[in-house]
Amino acid sequence: MSNQSIQSENKPNNDEPVGNKGSAVAKRLQKELMALMMSSEKSVSAFPEDSNFFRWKATIVGPKETPYENQKYRLSIEFPNNYPYTAPTCKFTTPCFHPNIDISTGMLCLDILKEKWSALYDVRTILLSIQSLLSEPNNDSPLNSNAASLWDKKAEYKKYLDQFYEKNKDT
Amino acid sequence: MSSSQTTTVNDPHLDNTTTTNNDTLPNNNSQEPSTSTDSSQYRSSTQYSFKPPPENSKTSTKPDLDDNEEEKRDDSMYVCNICLDIAKESVITMCGHLFCWPCLNCWLETKPQRQLCPVCKAAISKDKVVPLYGRNNEKQQDPRSKKSPPRPQAQRTEPDNSQNYQGFQSFGDAGFHLSFGIGAFPFVFFGSSFNFNDIRQRNGQNGSQFEEDQFLSKVFLWVAIIFFCWLILA
Repeated sequence: MSNQSIQSENKPNNDEPVGNKGSAVAKRLQKELMALMMSSEKSVSAFPEDSNFFRWKATIVGPKETPYENQKYRLSIEFPNNYPYTAPTCKFTTPCFHPNIDISTGMLCLDILKEKWSALYDVRTILLSIQSLLSEPNNDSPLNSNAASLWDKKAEYKKYLDQFYEKNKDT
Repeated sequence: MSSSQTTTVNDPHLDNTTTTNNDTLPNNNSQEPSTSTDSSQYRSSTQYSFKPPPENSKTSTKPDLDDNEEEKRDDSMYVCNICLDIAKESVITMCGHLFCWPCLNCWLETKPQRQLCPVCKAAISKDKVVPLYGRNNEKQQDPRSKKSPPRPQAQRTEPDNSQNYQGFQSFGDAGFHLSFGIGAFPFVFFGSSFNFNDIRQRNGQNGSQFEEDQFLSKVFLWVAIIFFCWLILA
């Protein structure tokens, strides 16, 4: 569950010849963008970064009735050349204090972005999954052990999280 | 009269209502203009002849829009779960999920050790997908198909042919059957059967055997007739 493993999983497949995928990937990403913009989903959003269609910027609003309520996190999503056959790489660009998110790199540990990836998942479902990960961490394989051990002490966790968020939200 | 003309020409709503009246109550409408002069009746008749085209165009454009919407909705049912486009060279998995064959093939090749349906994660394999053949199959050629192996063939079982020989299904099929026999049961010394409209004749099978049977049955029939005659005369 280290950072390297996430990258190494995506890389070998990137060079695989899979037909004229470039345009097909762009087409699919365009459709996803359309669907995202048409949907009434307010808590997650995403948009391509500048001219590169394969790098998106996303935002997730912390789910209600969780310590992350009213907090807003930015993410970067990078799509491989053979998307959707392999999962995109997602990273928190806003530092996030969470058991399954690396505090310094922003890498996250989520099964559907790894071994449980399916070509059916799209940006919206990924972001919603990450959002639900915020409220339901998997404390068995933490990337941030501090957060994992603190999770059960709700009040303490909330206090530390708020401080951390206020300190880092602008970076 | 001239006013009625202008309304029909200028006001599309009025036009529409009058035309609907025409459809439902043609006699009432034709009676109205008849209260004025004869020429108006002619004119009104020309109006009727003129009206149907706008009415047709109106009724046809509206359902056209609905059709388009419906088509869009229908089309969205046939979107590949991977490329999110209308499925080309469509195949369907045993779990019922639709994909383009190139898309699904690509997905299966990226995970050769764990072949799961992207939608429901059921175990799938290339051999167990069913290709869908629409009417315009040739048009749906996808350039990517050259790089992926050909779609699996559909499986086809021949229909059962043995239904022809069931016989006596209905009275119409039965034909006429008569047999003669003499002797003490269960021993029949000689007998003859007499068939009209034999089923086997229609099937056209067992030709020579059938002719032989017919010949024999004729011989026995004559023997039986002669025997009866002898019985009566004696």
